[in-house]
Amino acid sequence: MTAAPSTERTRLAHSLVLLLPAVLFGLLVSVQWRTQAERNELTVRYNTPLLDAAKTLQNEQNTLKAQLADLRAELDRIQTNASTQSGAAKELQARIDALKMVAGLNERTGDGVEVVLDDARDTVAAKDIEKSICHNTDLTDIVNQAWRGGAEAIAVNDERIVGSSSIYCVGSTIMVNGTLMSPPFKVIVIGPQNELLTTYEDPTQLRDIKQRRDVYGLGFRVSRASGLRVPPYRGALNVRYATPR
Amino acid sequence: MKTNAGIISVTVVALFLGVLAVTQIQAQDVYSRSLQLETPASLTTLIANLSERNNAIKDEILDLRLRTETARDAIASGRGSLAEGEHQLGQLRVFAAVSAVSGAGISVRVDGTFDERALSDLVNELRNAGAEAIAVNTARVGPRSWFGATPDHALTVDAVAVRGPWQVRAVGSPEVMYVAMTRIGGIIGQFELIYKGTRFAVSKESALELPALVTPLR
Repeated sequence: MTAAPSTERTRLAHSLVLLLPAVLFGLLVSVQWRTQAERNELTVRYNTPLLDAAKTLQNEQNTLKAQLADLRAELDRIQTNASTQSGAAKELQARIDALKMVAGLNERTGDGVEVVLDDARDTVAAKDIEKSICHNTDLTDIVNQAWRGGAEAIAVNDERIVGSSSIYCVGSTIMVNGTLMSPPFKVIVIGPQNELLTTYEDPTQLRDIKQRRDVYGLGFRVSRASGLRVPPYRGALNVRYATPR
Repeated sequence: MKTNAGIISVTVVALFLGVLAVTQIQAQDVYSRSLQLETPASLTTLIANLSERNNAIKDEILDLRLRTETARDAIASGRGSLAEGEHQLGQLRVFAAVSAVSGAGISVRVDGTFDERALSDLVNELRNAGAEAIAVNTARVGPRSWFGATPDHALTVDAVAVRGPWQVRAVGSPEVMYVAMTRIGGIIGQFELIYKGTRFAVSKESALELPALVTPLR
């Protein structure tokens, strides 16, 4: 007679033990599903055509840059051939070649340093996300530091940094010379290795980046590197308003 | 047997629960940078930026095609290609900042507290808006210029001190650069929030004269 209520109580207890996780389980499944559903709906309705347009324009830009490079090479060939004809043309060509080198229109190879900047790969608290990811201003600081250290040529993910270069941010997308990029960013710096390393290791410089690396796991690494290659600038020179004096 | 079955059920449910909870937390805390996740407003800005860049490259392609043909004709007719060479040299002298330049543009006057990182950001923003030549006070900004500060609050351009109030002048399209600087949420608006008490004045200029780089590039 006493065994029956005890069995009932045990069954009830087991049921309750299962009920709580089951409710939580259901709750989490529905939250996960709804988050995904909302994202998909928004993406399809507003972003898909814009996304397609952005990708098309980026592809078009790659093609245009290749055409521009071909035309520059062709004009170079014509100029070089012509420069064999007279002394004046030869001298002019030498000045053009020298300026191209300092302006970033030629490929450069040599030793230097490699800087890698990346978003934190470990999970961080939502409130700290801003501090754990890389921003365009981090890249401008790293480039500024490279010039300070005597850099002769710099490229960010294969985009040459020249006098007209901008490192721009829209939403979470970074553009260098108009090319869309995302982390990790590899900054190739050709120049005097010791001076460059000293500049990057100076504790008074890049304090914000170094603090975020130490506290929030931002990826930031500088290393000595040999046999580096920096490509030529492939964009437009865009000289329309400025007249040389 | 029943008790064992109950324990197994609870364990399985608890395992699922753990996996789901971790997935949910990670979804919130790992930053995703996919282009697919950009807002329509950001994508629209990206598209405008890409279009502008592509148009500039198209213009230059047309210009180069014309110049290539002209140079070819000139050489074929025995006139040589000095004219094309001079044109190219002039363009490169502006691009490399080794020549003083004149032209229309804008001027940004900064009067008050300011720092080298903000100056670098301002120059970066001007370049993105199509500036062809930039100077800070009398110091021309070159392809390898860097910005710093001195202990007595002067800023430096290539290690040369420039003291406030600072006049940042840029040659390029006055309309495009003016709008880029002064738009709502733009860089000047951000500076005004950060450097309270500092005055920022942006003006269109019909004729600017900027000096050449003082230090020759290596």
